[in-house]
Amino acid sequence: MILSQDSIRQIREKAARYPHAKSAILPALTIACRQVGHLNDDIYEEVAQVINVPFVEIAEAASFYTLFPKQPVGKYLIQVCHNISCALLGADALVEYLEQKLGIKKGETSADNLFTLITVECLGSCCTAPAMQINQDFYENLTREKVDHILDELRVRV
Amino acid sequence: MSVTDDFCLRVNRTMTEATKQAATERAPAQTVSLTIDGRPVTVIRGTTVLEAAAQLGIHIPSFCWHPKLKPVGACRMCYVEIERFPKLQVSCATEATDGMVVLTDSDKVRQGRRAVLEFILVNHPLDCPTCDKGGECDLQNLTFAHGFDDSRFEFQKARFAGPGVTTTFDDLRIGPEIILNRNRCILCFKCVRANKEAFGEYDLGAYERGNSTEINAAPGHQVDNPFSGNLVEICPVGALTNTDWRYKIRVWLTKTTPSMDNFFSSGANILFYKEDHQNRVFRVTSRRNDEIDDGWLADVTRYGYQIVNSPERLVTPLIKKDGRLVPASWEEALQLVAQRFGDIKEKKGGVCIGGLAAPYLDNASLYSFARFFRTVIRCNNIDFRSDYRMLPDNPESQFSNLCSRPFRIADIDDSDVTVIFGSDLIREHPGEYLRLRKARNFGHPRIYSLTPYAVKSADVADRAIVYKPGTEELVINALCLAAAEQGLVDSSAAAQLKDKISSHTFAEATRRCGVSEADLLAVAGSLAEGRMVTFIVGEIVAQSKARETIATAIANLDHLLGLSRRGQVAVLARYANSKGAERLGLLPRPTEAIAKELAAIWGDFPDSPAYPTDAMAALMKKGELDGFFILGANPMMLYPDRAFMKEGLEKLDFLVVCDMFETETTALADVVLPLSSWAEFTGDYVNLEGRVQRAYQAVKPSGQSRPGFEIMTMLAEKFGEPLFESAESMAQEIERLLRLETTPKTPSEFAEVKVSEEANDDAYPIALFVVDDAHHSGHLTEKAPSLTSFAGEAYVEMSPDLAARMEIENGDAVRVEAESGRIIVPARISEHLNTDVILIPRNFSATPVTSLLSRKRRVDRVKLLKVDH
Amino acid sequence: MFYSPVITNASEVSDANGLHLFRYVEDAQQHRIEQYEQHGGYSALRKVLTSMTPEAVTEEVKKSGLRGRGGAGFPAGMKWGFVPKGSTKPRYLCCNADESEPGTCKDRVLMERDPHAVIEGMAIAAYAIGCHLMFIYIRGEFNHCIDRMEAAMAEAYARGHLGKNIYGAGYDLDMIVHTGGGAYICGEETALLNSLEGERGMSRIRPPFPAIEGLYACPTIVNNVETLAAVPHIINRGADWYRSLGTERSTGTKVFSLSGHVKRPGNYEVEMSFPLKRLIYDPAYGGGILGDKKLKGVIPGGASTPFLTPDMVDVKLDYESLAAVGSMLGSGAVIVFHEETCIVWVILKLIHFFRHESCGKCTPCREGTAWLEQIIGRIEHGQGKAGDIEMIEEICGNILGRTICPLGDAAVMPIQSAVKHWRDEWQHHIVHRKCQSPTTFAFA
Ligand SMILES: Cc1cc2nc3c(=O)[nH]c(=O)nc-3n(C[C@H](O)[C@H](O)[C@H](O)COP(=O)(O)O)c2cc1C
Ligand code: SF4
Ligand code: FES
Repeated sequence: MILSQDSIRQIREKAARYPHAKSAILPALTIACRQVGHLNDDIYEEVAQVINVPFVEIAEAASFYTLFPKQPVGKYLIQVCHNISCALLGADALVEYLEQKLGIKKGETSADNLFTLITVECLGSCCTAPAMQINQDFYENLTREKVDHILDELRVRV
Repeated sequence: MSVTDDFCLRVNRTMTEATKQAATERAPAQTVSLTIDGRPVTVIRGTTVLEAAAQLGIHIPSFCWHPKLKPVGACRMCYVEIERFPKLQVSCATEATDGMVVLTDSDKVRQGRRAVLEFILVNHPLDCPTCDKGGECDLQNLTFAHGFDDSRFEFQKARFAGPGVTTTFDDLRIGPEIILNRNRCILCFKCVRANKEAFGEYDLGAYERGNSTEINAAPGHQVDNPFSGNLVEICPVGALTNTDWRYKIRVWLTKTTPSMDNFFSSGANILFYKEDHQNRVFRVTSRRNDEIDDGWLADVTRYGYQIVNSPERLVTPLIKKDGRLVPASWEEALQLVAQRFGDIKEKKGGVCIGGLAAPYLDNASLYSFARFFRTVIRCNNIDFRSDYRMLPDNPESQFSNLCSRPFRIADIDDSDVTVIFGSDLIREHPGEYLRLRKARNFGHPRIYSLTPYAVKSADVADRAIVYKPGTEELVINALCLAAAEQGLVDSSAAAQLKDKISSHTFAEATRRCGVSEADLLAVAGSLAEGRMVTFIVGEIVAQSKARETIATAIANLDHLLGLSRRGQVAVLARYANSKGAERLGLLPRPTEAIAKELAAIWGDFPDSPAYPTDAMAALMKKGELDGFFILGANPMMLYPDRAFMKEGLEKLDFLVVCDMFETETTALADVVLPLSSWAEFTGDYVNLEGRVQRAYQAVKPSGQSRPGFEIMTMLAEKFGEPLFESAESMAQEIERLLRLETTPKTPSEFAEVKVSEEANDDAYPIALFVVDDAHHSGHLTEKAPSLTSFAGEAYVEMSPDLAARMEIENGDAVRVEAESGRIIVPARISEHLNTDVILIPRNFSATPVTSLLSRKRRVDRVKLLKVDH
Repeated sequence: MFYSPVITNASEVSDANGLHLFRYVEDAQQHRIEQYEQHGGYSALRKVLTSMTPEAVTEEVKKSGLRGRGGAGFPAGMKWGFVPKGSTKPRYLCCNADESEPGTCKDRVLMERDPHAVIEGMAIAAYAIGCHLMFIYIRGEFNHCIDRMEAAMAEAYARGHLGKNIYGAGYDLDMIVHTGGGAYICGEETALLNSLEGERGMSRIRPPFPAIEGLYACPTIVNNVETLAAVPHIINRGADWYRSLGTERSTGTKVFSLSGHVKRPGNYEVEMSFPLKRLIYDPAYGGGILGDKKLKGVIPGGASTPFLTPDMVDVKLDYESLAAVGSMLGSGAVIVFHEETCIVWVILKLIHFFRHESCGKCTPCREGTAWLEQIIGRIEHGQGKAGDIEMIEEICGNILGRTICPLGDAAVMPIQSAVKHWRDEWQHHIVHRKCQSPTTFAFA
């Protein structure tokens, strides 16, 4: 089993609240992804078992939603919003800056497996642009200085 | 047939399901009147604009619409212009309303459709020359109709690539038979919808989204469900093709012949695609008949035709010489048969000869077989049932009565309560399973499944109830008692019933059959309330030694609740022409009405003892039956006590077997005669409803093979007693019998039910059920390569729990041992099984599972042993 | 102090000016139930459950003129009234908190800073339609909002505002916080319902409308967070009060998310019919264009609404005024860009988004957005060809009004307006193979 006992318990608790088990697919995937960091077919099989929904339904749904990485990612998944409001305030330059600082291109993971950098659609931080999300957390009103500081902090944390 | 004709035909046969549902829910049916292209039309409220147009013969092009699926409005091809709607509307999902004014061919509509076609072609490879769908592709036809000559899309087409892609054509094998080309896919989603919605299967999906969306098998799985062939048929383009047909021939080089399924009893309507020069059938597709098959075919039906082309077909008569079967001429073979049977008849009498015919043969063959035995041999030892043990010989028995009760397939649609009793429906009656699913999808029926082990087909049921093997009559008694005790019936009826079922109470019965009281109360309640009830009695009951007792219990239930008055209660006929066999007098003792009619036709009816199949086998063993004639049947493989049958057949003086193939039974024969398949002559068949359907000759008989009726008439001539004056007189005789009014009795009184429970056997703790693999039926399908690509060998299906306890994993060799024999088979762990019951398919000649069965038993029991290598 | 550092105009709110949604959004304790109750929270729910019939609640909301704030502006009370009366099926309420329309970030503030207001609004709506299980569908990225809503929900249960027999009034109501998986389309109500059922987030054909057959084929009402958050105020202060704000057909207040090239981007609650120009230039709001450059264009209602040019910014922010100038109020996301912005670049950003977010069901949307992205991308990268503009227009025309859900329309309407307003610039881009106004937005 990839899923931890704790994840399974959480999924079961969630699923029990819905009138139909299938509704628990997204919450279950969210819980699984939070534990593992990404999703794959083996995890779908396990989720299918836990909530008793056909495997293919899990695989189909999971592939539709972009929030869940389908491949292993670094310890920190950096998701930079490149949509219009952020772009007007320099999101493209922000991506370049991050690429430079991390020594990786968009879509790549750093050699130390610490950072994965990707761009995403509107994060809902349009009035505090430019913005990015790292794992669960939002970072907004970004400047070079802030970015330097954030990356330093994350490096220190490990 | 043009696209338009075919389309209108499809629509006109009946309303689509969504409409029907809308119509029934809004009873009394109301109509609406509208104008389409200036022509008035009146349709049932709930009809979509697309269907309303079809009623006028107006064809609206579509990709994602399917008459048996819920509309999704995805492809946008079916646009029409509707007055007062500024935007184009999709006709497949727009309900016709009163006074609507619709244009299906205005400039705006044509522009809209052109735009959709252009969008579809953006990423379509246009590899028509190498595409197998060419000539019957909706996209090709519509593009042609809309006159595209050039693409305005100047970019690289989106292409699928990656692991598993075998050629530049992106051919992915996603199932034993199915090949997927994702680049050709136009994302109508029909395959995924049909698979889940209509078939209840979850081995195919749609992944990613937007313009990255792709159809594919469930990751790591195969699309190998028993209905998978339909996916290929409904794909509007060449995205799904199958190995059966692919690259073998172009469709315009073939001709079609209307025919019928020869493997299941509903008689699904099919088309043979054949090519005359090669005298070969190339494929089978559905010839949709909404009263029977809804346009779906089980894979067995679709690919089973391959047996016709099999190189293993018997092509000449064979005669046993020095212990070996060697080719002979028909003349020689028939002469020998006539001489030997003549000898036996003369020395010991016709009663020492018997015959067994297969219930998948046509009416003419079955009838001439019966006529030959009763009028030429002058005996009553004939039967068509080779896979039942301890058969009753009384044609008026409760069980026989239950078998001949009326049943209409389409009534399943309208039943608000359906009970499946003792049937693994997908394996026995796949078409009826799909119908139940459809009823569930488009309405709100209450469905119950009651079986001695968990079955996949119970997924259509509100409650899937599993009772202890061998307690069928207790289950039915409990239902009766529930109705009586819950006050669902009037008290005098309740009292009368209780009088007859005095040995136990409701609570006791439920406990003994191991089901919950609540479950049976729910079933009883629904049966009592149902407006229209369908009560399907399946093969598990028919196969049971206690069938008579169970049928009696069912008759009580029927009488108590008046089920037959509100619907249908019947044992469903098992094979393509079981019903015909029954109606044409193939039972050793036909019903009085049939016997009388036969006597009238023939001027005589033999007055000799009549023995069913297993009684005949017993006589063989005792040396009291010396000659035996088998027409198409394979009792060695199917009779549920192989040792018993074998001993009998081996004791015979003279055995004649007619078959399409060499089998375990032909191996014992003195003379083997090659039999033609149903594709090789025109014949009639009676489906489980009693509906007579014709299968036309598609190809010439293989080798020197002959249809059954020709063999029987030739043989009779050798006896100097021709069977019929002419083909017409034969047809007339058959017609007389089929026309015979058969009014089966509706039960009118309660009867005692003698409950017979078999004790568990500690030495053999596990109940064994012999079943059909979902891709095989009877004994012939092993010769169809496509079907063996789904399942090529036998296996033992067991629950995960049982497997875990025995430390058995998928594929491990397992020794299955009964008192009478043992076999070794690989294990298949089946998620839906959950009790200590194992299932083994009977269709594989290399694994003689019937050797584990004993005709004395009600429930066969075995023990398992994991074989270590 | 707050998780989201977004600027609001909470300080401006007073009884006198009728602003209400943002009254406590700068109060760091407001998310806690004690504080919410202290501020009069849950009194509307209590009033409704103890003294009003469901019909009366619906009637009151109808009378208030409250229109949906999720984008379409459909009258909320009227929608509630569509739930079939006699049906024995369960009914459901789904609060739409998928907030993914580029430029929009207003629901996020409400959920984070005043979550109980959302719950109270949901509960009142639930009561009005006879629902006993309600959902809030929050986009999966909003972890903080999700945590806040979960915590608030737990508090509401604990204090008897949710659960069995609320206030002894014999009404049961349960709530589930459901999270999305990163799909803009799931903000569209039928796709949202599919997603909530565990399906892929693909929209469904209508009819049947969700109010008749929605979640699990049962009557379902979907409303935006902001719509529902206004409901308790309408109950407390009356429909007449609400109507007194704004115009005849655009009543009440609206939160605008102002973003892009302005000095003070932020979320501002203003009375309906507020002047757009003032929102952009007033120092209390946008404070003018960044670097005091010239305004080039405004997207008034989120990335799916047609553009406004500088000569159109005198418009008032209400449904009818924006419709009159050929645009829409949408979700109230005002995106401003100045003279140095290349319009082709803007459109490429947008079409990339819509192509990425198309569910893939309708042929025109699925294939058309991808085709458009390729043509527009080619122009932006200096490889445009003569005829490209006409081709774009034709493709847009073949998508507009031809799809199941409005995402197809949303994708093409801004393009159509951008081509119309700045045709010369598109031409220039094609002919000169580069931007008229090279876009290089620095990042501070
Ligand atoms: C593509 C698309 C995305 C949408 N996204 C949202 C959204 O994020 N939040 C929202 O409230 N409504 C969204 N809507 C509008 C909803 O479909 C629906 O109209 C709304 O939730 C109804 O609530 P309201 O009447 O309170 O506005 C979207 C619509 C479309 C077509
Ligand atoms: S318009 Fe686009 S997003 Fe909406 S249903 Fe159609 S394909 Fe999906
Ligand atoms: S057939 Fe109507 S949209 Fe596809």
